[in-house]
Amino acid sequence: MPGVIAILCRCCGQIEPAVDLQALRERIGREAGVVSVEFRDSLCLPEDGAAIVKAVESSGADRILLAACSPYGKAGDVVSALCARGIDRSRVRLVDIREGCAWIHRGDQTGATAKACDLLCMGLGFLRYGGCSTDAVVAVRPECLVAGAGSAGLAAAVSIARAGFQVHLVERAAEGGGMLKLISRVYPTDVEAAEKLRPYLEEVERNPRIAFHPKTRVVSATGFAGDFKVRLASVTGDVNVRVGAVILATGAGVWLPRGLYRYGELKEVLTLMELERRQREGKTAAKRSVFIQCVGARCPERPYCATMCCPSSIKNAVLLRKADPDAEVTILYRDIMTPGHILERYYRSALEAGVRFIRFDPAQPPVVSGDGHVERVEVFDAISGVKREIETDQVVLSTPLVANADNAKLSELFHVPLDGYGFFREDYSLHPLETRQGGIFICGSARWPVSSAEAATQGEGAAMKALAILGRKEISALSLSRLPEGKLGHARIEDGACSGCGNCVAVCPYDACTLQRVGGAFVSRANKMRCRACGSCTAVCPNGTVQMPEHNARAVGAMIRRAFAEGDAG
Amino acid sequence: MTPEIPRDNPRQGKADALPVLVEGGGAAGITACLDLAAAGRRVHLVESTAVLGGQVLRLDKIYPTDHCAFCPLWTDIRRLREAPEITVHLLSRVVSLEASAEGSLATIVTRPPFIAPERCISCGRCADACPPEAARPLGEHVYPSSFCIDEGLCNCCGCCVGVCPTAAIDLERKEERQTLKIGKAIRATGFREAELSPLPEFGYGTHPDIMTSLEFEAWTAEAGRNGGSIVRKSGGGKPANIAFIQCSGARDDRLLPWCSAVCCMHALKQASWVKRRDPGIDCWIFYTDLRTVGRDYYAYSLRATEGAGVRLVRGRPGLVHPLPGGDGIAVKFEDTMTQKREIRRFDMVVLNGNLRPAVGDGYPVDGAAQDNACGFAAEPADVAQSACQGSSAALKIMIGGGEGPCRA
Amino acid sequence: MNAHGMTDKTTTPRVLVFACRWCALVGADAAGRGRADLPASFRVIPVECAAMVEPDSVLRALASGADGVAVMGCHLGGCRFNDANHVALKRMEALGDLLDTVGIGRRRLLLSFGAAHEGRQFTEVLGAFFRELAPLPSLAAWRKTLLNQPSFR
Repeated sequence: MPGVIAILCRCCGQIEPAVDLQALRERIGREAGVVSVEFRDSLCLPEDGAAIVKAVESSGADRILLAACSPYGKAGDVVSALCARGIDRSRVRLVDIREGCAWIHRGDQTGATAKACDLLCMGLGFLRYGGCSTDAVVAVRPECLVAGAGSAGLAAAVSIARAGFQVHLVERAAEGGGMLKLISRVYPTDVEAAEKLRPYLEEVERNPRIAFHPKTRVVSATGFAGDFKVRLASVTGDVNVRVGAVILATGAGVWLPRGLYRYGELKEVLTLMELERRQREGKTAAKRSVFIQCVGARCPERPYCATMCCPSSIKNAVLLRKADPDAEVTILYRDIMTPGHILERYYRSALEAGVRFIRFDPAQPPVVSGDGHVERVEVFDAISGVKREIETDQVVLSTPLVANADNAKLSELFHVPLDGYGFFREDYSLHPLETRQGGIFICGSARWPVSSAEAATQGEGAAMKALAILGRKEISALSLSRLPEGKLGHARIEDGACSGCGNCVAVCPYDACTLQRVGGAFVSRANKMRCRACGSCTAVCPNGTVQMPEHNARAVGAMIRRAFAEGDAG
Repeated sequence: MTPEIPRDNPRQGKADALPVLVEGGGAAGITACLDLAAAGRRVHLVESTAVLGGQVLRLDKIYPTDHCAFCPLWTDIRRLREAPEITVHLLSRVVSLEASAEGSLATIVTRPPFIAPERCISCGRCADACPPEAARPLGEHVYPSSFCIDEGLCNCCGCCVGVCPTAAIDLERKEERQTLKIGKAIRATGFREAELSPLPEFGYGTHPDIMTSLEFEAWTAEAGRNGGSIVRKSGGGKPANIAFIQCSGARDDRLLPWCSAVCCMHALKQASWVKRRDPGIDCWIFYTDLRTVGRDYYAYSLRATEGAGVRLVRGRPGLVHPLPGGDGIAVKFEDTMTQKREIRRFDMVVLNGNLRPAVGDGYPVDGAAQDNACGFAAEPADVAQSACQGSSAALKIMIGGGEGPCRA
Repeated sequence: MNAHGMTDKTTTPRVLVFACRWCALVGADAAGRGRADLPASFRVIPVECAAMVEPDSVLRALASGADGVAVMGCHLGGCRFNDANHVALKRMEALGDLLDTVGIGRRRLLLSFGAAHEGRQFTEVLGAFFRELAPLPSLAAWRKTLLNQPSFR
């Protein structure tokens, strides 16, 4: 077995005199397995890279111990540069003796040197027992599944098809369009919803790369990024598809405000959606309208703002005013949620169009009254401090979008978590379209209520994420990581030693471990594509069966044993 | 360990395999770069400052997760710096972009830093040797870490040059120009703060404890000079109360007619953290519409207000003025929900709202969507929206068109 | 040296720190860049996530010369491995119970999740731990002395 080359960086004088490098060299030189100890003034300058590789090659060592600065600084780049030259990362160990030693123990040379010796011996122990995970390479299916053919799903499907890949677009209804089929115009452009949909639907029909599955649901899903096996069920029968990526764009659901504001009791108390249908059908002649915002939203049962209600009410209010300049339109609101530049102008245009806005305090909500038919709304105008009675012909209730009832089932099938409101949850706030499972992306109101324009943007974004996988012939499990160096490793389960207790299955944040029947017993298997090398499983395994080779128990044990060996002054 | 993965993108190899130019290295730009690189496209990222991360990196914490701002970005920045497809141009700007038959020619001007980051080992000898204290670390949580010289303070004495052990310092560094052949471009230049002088009633500049929200963020940052403690800038000691004034500059025809979208949550976040660090400090947020539209934002606002006791007053103060003697600041306001008018003394005032696109005069008056602009450059946007838009802009380049089938 | 062969506590306690390489190691690194002044009696083992730390490792550390063990991870809600640190915290708290039961004492196990990601914080957290351990008997010295007793040879 070749051995270790220890390269001690002087860091241009930053290590000495706090750490006695000569003593360090002597100590390390005595260690079994060390074939060469070298000093260098620096490791990180552009001219150093080639010299280090040469030193490694001529020493005949197969593992490298670097004593240098912090992995967050230049030393991390040095390791990356070595790996870029073909050296396996598990064969390099970086020990920080600058930020981690010389710079913080300046007044104690004995202690600092002893610590540096210990740290290097720990590193050697780690190198001795550290292993290397075998990678798994998966052939990528150049096809994508898009669940949901609303604004987000259509944008995603069309984008992926145009990029050159086959798309299976699954929709539970008979046609695509989602919520855009229910509304008359979209904000803020006031373009007709059908007009907005048309180009997408036409493309779905004529683009040979898009296979549209109407009246279809996903009933089972297994697999991982690159190769998902999904079963689709429709009345005409089941279809199995194999795809490289999945985009969940199942949209949101509508909520009915039963019991609020006399909805269902008085005629002409309707929801925004019902008003939209009337707009589509051209049946909107109401002389006087009152919109009430935040109905069933931003309340204890649904403590969220559903994004769309304020702009939607404004849109409809302005349309009513435009259709009839004598129409009296009032919006009763708590806050007007029109953030940004475009929506703020949209709000102002409503003011200019003569829509009246009255703010109420949620502690004093408006009261809707009438006899059989709605007649008036009483509201305490919080800003004027005056109670107002508004005679009206219709009351429109702005209700929030709620999570799609299908999300729970899909969450289970694809192992993608939901948030407390039932919407799909992203893994990281900075990566809003990516989920805990590699290869599965979320967009549109399935993720969080958004406008159709924003849903389309997110659909395109999710398509882009999917392309990163679809565009490759193969992906390796170790490369499926946010880190530039790839994952640390994989969980590895020793054949024959697993007792089938299931602890790892329970604790894995990525559902990478599963119990499988082998012979007469249950044995755990770790899916390399799903595993993210967090190490949770290794800590709960009762007999050490599951290990991560790059951070296995023997290596860690060697580090622990040597941590205070030098410092053992007796 | 990781075998060479052949990239076989069906779209590559076509004429539009020219590199993409991304202007701006913030949340939107970084996302666009990484997405394009993951799909096999080459990218030139042009960033005007010395570090990547944009405005998010300057924040202490981000909402709604209350995580440290740098941590989520850091991994992405490292990925970006190590991706062979991406060439990063720091301290650079695009001075011209000329379309031609086969793409565009982009001229980039770079002002190299006095201290070359690839040679700096962060030993700090330059800082010790610098009389006007112009040499300092580039930042607390930046990658890679390096020292830099503040040109405004540098007197070109050259004391640092000799003490640098790696010859990393060159005070003669001149601007460099290069012309790149590129395909398409994405503009992700983000936001900057607008000058508040047209709005003297907010008192900016009249008292050290009247700050913009970004100044307050830096002043109270855990990694900042006060280590996370909330103290008055005018003279130590903790403040008894702090006023956060929303829409100062925004939704105001005199300065910025738009809503900056991120400020309400930003103030709630800052006030929450003040309460977390010192529950005894009374925090007031003066707002017009409390915009809490995104995921978990409203719940966050409830935790701040009903949970931590941050007070909300609906009203935009009409006057912010230092008290005679300079101890304390008077804020004159009307609580529009009660019609009560008041002048109250505050120890600190944080002005929130004056965010504008970093490049250009503002947003187009007719509100038309701009090709390939994403993030705050296109429309006031928070981090999540900027990231989505960055991915969307990247996608539009991948499929070869500027427009999707229909854009609003 | 007292009648039981134990030395006086003149050296700083020895601490083995398991630091997740996200929040915690960043704090240690920042302490270094800030040239903090710390006793040289601690060692850091970087881990991918605090969830990776086995209770077994903590016990081994205490048996191998450490007077105290610190497990440092990201703040709760901030774990990049999907709240694996919550699981780690529970596990370590249970370990604290065990340490109490066997007489080692939970004071020798420090759990810090999200409190040490800036240099100054890392210094404070570690400093407080050193002060906490100082009055306790040195496990290493005691073990050495014990193993040197004639009855053990």
